[in-house]
Amino acid sequence: MSDDAEPEDRPRPPPGALAGLGLGALGLLRAGVELQGVARRTVYWSIRGRRARGVVLRQCLEVGNRSVFFVSVTMGFIGMILVFQSGLQLLRAVPDLQMMGATFLEALVRDLAASLTALMLATRVGAGIAAEIGSMVVTEQVDALRMSGVDPVNHLVVPRFLASLVMTGVLIVWAGAVSFFAGCATAYFMFGVAPRTFLNPMLVDGGDLLTGLTKCLAYGAAIPVVSGWCGLSTFGGSEGVGWATTRAVVNSSLAVIILNFFISGASFLVFPP
Amino acid sequence: MLELRGVSKAFAGPVLRDVTLQVPKGCLYGLVGPGASGKSVLLKLLVGLLKPDAGRILVAGEDVTDLDEIQLHRVRQRFGFLFQNYALFDFLTVGENIAFPLRQLGLTDEDELVRRVAERLQAVALSGFEARAPGGLSGGQKKRVGVARATVTRAEVVLYDEPAAGLDPVTSQKIFDLLAREQREAGATVLMVSSDVARLLTVTDRVGMLYKGRLIFDGTTEEALGSRHPVVKQFLHGEPDGPI
Repeated sequence: MSDDAEPEDRPRPPPGALAGLGLGALGLLRAGVELQGVARRTVYWSIRGRRARGVVLRQCLEVGNRSVFFVSVTMGFIGMILVFQSGLQLLRAVPDLQMMGATFLEALVRDLAASLTALMLATRVGAGIAAEIGSMVVTEQVDALRMSGVDPVNHLVVPRFLASLVMTGVLIVWAGAVSFFAGCATAYFMFGVAPRTFLNPMLVDGGDLLTGLTKCLAYGAAIPVVSGWCGLSTFGGSEGVGWATTRAVVNSSLAVIILNFFISGASFLVFPP
Repeated sequence: MLELRGVSKAFAGPVLRDVTLQVPKGCLYGLVGPGASGKSVLLKLLVGLLKPDAGRILVAGEDVTDLDEIQLHRVRQRFGFLFQNYALFDFLTVGENIAFPLRQLGLTDEDELVRRVAERLQAVALSGFEARAPGGLSGGQKKRVGVARATVTRAEVVLYDEPAAGLDPVTSQKIFDLLAREQREAGATVLMVSSDVARLLTVTDRVGMLYKGRLIFDGTTEEALGSRHPVVKQFLHGEPDGPI
């Protein structure tokens, strides 16, 4: 070390276990406060902000249309796998598969379509949002927006938030339909269940629809807000963008799972099976 | 016009330590120092893009240290800022980039916007570049578009962060001459950070030098060139041997 080194430049001893735990807790608290701030400003600017024509539509195309193929293929295969596996299990217990379609449809409407599609969107859409905003942060474009008096949340997160609110719902309905019909075909070819028997909506009630719709809105809101926050908190260069993208996928997926837990729990209490 | 009182800032380690600095109104102030001495951080602290850990920041006598983002919007309207990495919006054309700050200030007259953009592009010798995408420009052209955007609102204070970094000597000198001319014509207060000391000192009124996060020199350009401080002397004259 050079003689003119300042006292605060000298290496500090590594924190002990307790101090490390405290630092981790503080970091988590700070992240929570930042995320809450982004969420609050997103809602505020969604109501109060003005947007150039076509901005939200362009994001609808990015979030929605460009996810259709990925979501359709994945949910189609998941539908086939779920029906095949549950058919095998059911046959061990009961010889009758008449209610398989009705049960599958209820599970899709109440939970599976929304949660599985949202997990896929968390990877595709969440990573895209974080990478785009993160690269704007490291090239100082976000600072340039702030210097022009523009809240980056209004300019970058809100259009994606509004697009995601709409398109996540649309994609979930579409993905649920693809999954159901793929399951229907599997039931017919593997177990001989007639499509007319499989297409049985008798178990789906208003509570299931409301629970599914609530999940659509919650996931559609959470993914762009969490990913936008990860993008805005990027630091460093291209490595920082990589980290932000990874954090966006992990945190958005976690948000979907945690929201699923709470919404399902609330739904169980309000609409008991 | 600009004042820092005992400002400190740290990230993983200390970046600025107890910096006190005044930039008078209408002055072209050059801030120099070796890499990672806190020059860019100081600029961002002035406009609230970063918050200091300690000390106060005053703009035209108003303490702006603790203002929130909405209050800072009003303060930032007084500033133009050229970022080190140009920070041109890649989703907008050159013309739209330059017009962006004007639109945010509420100017909606399209004819006036077109006129102001054309006038700025002419000033930076890029007439006819309105419809070009930033991605298709050279480094020097991006810098000049950045200068056009930083000066389009005729702000009272303009901050330039490394306006000539990565440019060839001829283009660098042209950029410095352009900035000095802009400052003279607009009468703005300018704080310019640059590692190109030789060219910077041809245009500045006053100079400050940051070293290891401390302001070790603050004076006129002539005083800086005649300074006997070993660090200042070595840095300004580019001597290989010395304390740096």
